[in-house]
Amino acid sequence: MTFDWTTFILEIINFLALVWILKHFLYQPILDIIARRRAGIEKTLTDAQQIKAEADELKQQHEKFLAEWEQEKERAQARLMAELAAMRENKLAELNDKINEEAERRKVLDERAKREFERRMEEQGIAQGIAFTTKLLFRLASPELEAALYALLLEDLHGLSKENKRVITEATVVPELQIKIQSAFPLDENKQNELTRYLSDVAGRMLPIEFQVNSDLIAGFQIVIGSWILHANLRDELKFFSGSLQHATAGS
Amino acid sequence: MEEAAVVFYAGPFAITSIVITTWGIILLLGVFCWLATRQLSLEPGPLQTMLEGIILLIEESIEAVSPGYSQQMMPFIGTLWIYILIANLVGIVPELHSPTGNLSVTAGLALLVFLSVHWFGIRNEGAGYLKHYLSPSPILLPFHLISEVTRTIALAVRLFGNIMSLELVALLVLLVAGLLVPVPVLMLHIIEALVQAYIFGMLALIYVAGAMQSQQNVQGVS
Repeated sequence: MTFDWTTFILEIINFLALVWILKHFLYQPILDIIARRRAGIEKTLTDAQQIKAEADELKQQHEKFLAEWEQEKERAQARLMAELAAMRENKLAELNDKINEEAERRKVLDERAKREFERRMEEQGIAQGIAFTTKLLFRLASPELEAALYALLLEDLHGLSKENKRVITEATVVPELQIKIQSAFPLDENKQNELTRYLSDVAGRMLPIEFQVNSDLIAGFQIVIGSWILHANLRDELKFFSGSLQHATAGS
Repeated sequence: MEEAAVVFYAGPFAITSIVITTWGIILLLGVFCWLATRQLSLEPGPLQTMLEGIILLIEESIEAVSPGYSQQMMPFIGTLWIYILIANLVGIVPELHSPTGNLSVTAGLALLVFLSVHWFGIRNEGAGYLKHYLSPSPILLPFHLISEVTRTIALAVRLFGNIMSLELVALLVLLVAGLLVPVPVLMLHIIEALVQAYIFGMLALIYVAGAMQSQQNVQGVS
């Protein structure tokens, strides 16, 4: 075990040289690259944190937007439901009104149809009644009935009012006046003379009277003096009766 | 242990094989580091990963003992660990001897540790660093000085003695037992090389860290 000063001194120098070499070619480059990597990682982390913060902010904004949108949606839905309810109420009211109107119209139409039906029934009944009566009267028409109607004619002529007598008098003044007396059955001489005498008394002068037989009268007479006509026959009575019934039916 | 052979003379200085071996180590390390760190990448390959792992291990070890001074102390302490480890392992190579098996080498390293302790102490604490020799009492100054010298000598002799004895044992076993038996001894040599490098570097680190924190210790005591 010897001590060599040269080796001792050279070893110190060598070690210091090695320190310098390793510092410049090992420690410094490795530490630099580690520092750069750490800086990169730090930057990445910082960027990531920043991105995360931005993402969180965006998320919050998105959630806020979603919440607002949800509220807006609920409000819109509520408005829509209210509008729909109001519209439904209006439509229901309109529908009810239409239904009521339709029911009323239907009721009116039904009543009108019913009245029309009843009127037609009545008219038909009247017509049938008149036809039946006419047939019956045709079957009952006879000289006896004619004689009864003649009596009624005379009664009516004697019962004429002053106004009617004045009208007859004025009518007979017309020149070339044709006075017709129609009968369902031929009148005998006495009755013709009796009627001529009575009418001449009313007119105050002798009147030319033409007697005619008209079987359409069924039974009875018709006296025509100008515009004045006296009905005393079954045909005209039936017409009058039928017209009265129809007028009464139409009036109801 | 035989004397280191003188290879050549440079004027009055006899250059021994130990110095040549040290130069070889320095040359290999320098070239390797230059090649390895020429094209460093942010996405490291296997070699760069290994180098970064070694550097980070050194940094963390220093940081654990002296927090905040790893950048400042790494070149010296890291080089101690790397150089002593390689110097210890060189003895495994046939026809080569570990430089650390030579007292001149370990004494030089111990002297560097001794000087670096005061260098780092004064650099960080200023002239007040020397006050710790008077703490807690000026009476203890001689003991402090003796302690400085003895621990430096112990540092040099410990490394020298262990590595020298290790090589001697390996040589003796090889001579007595033949070729295969020394293999476990060589494994022991590797472990011993690692342990001794670690111990030397760690002691140097503790001494330097103690010097850098001496003023705080003085203030704490007073």
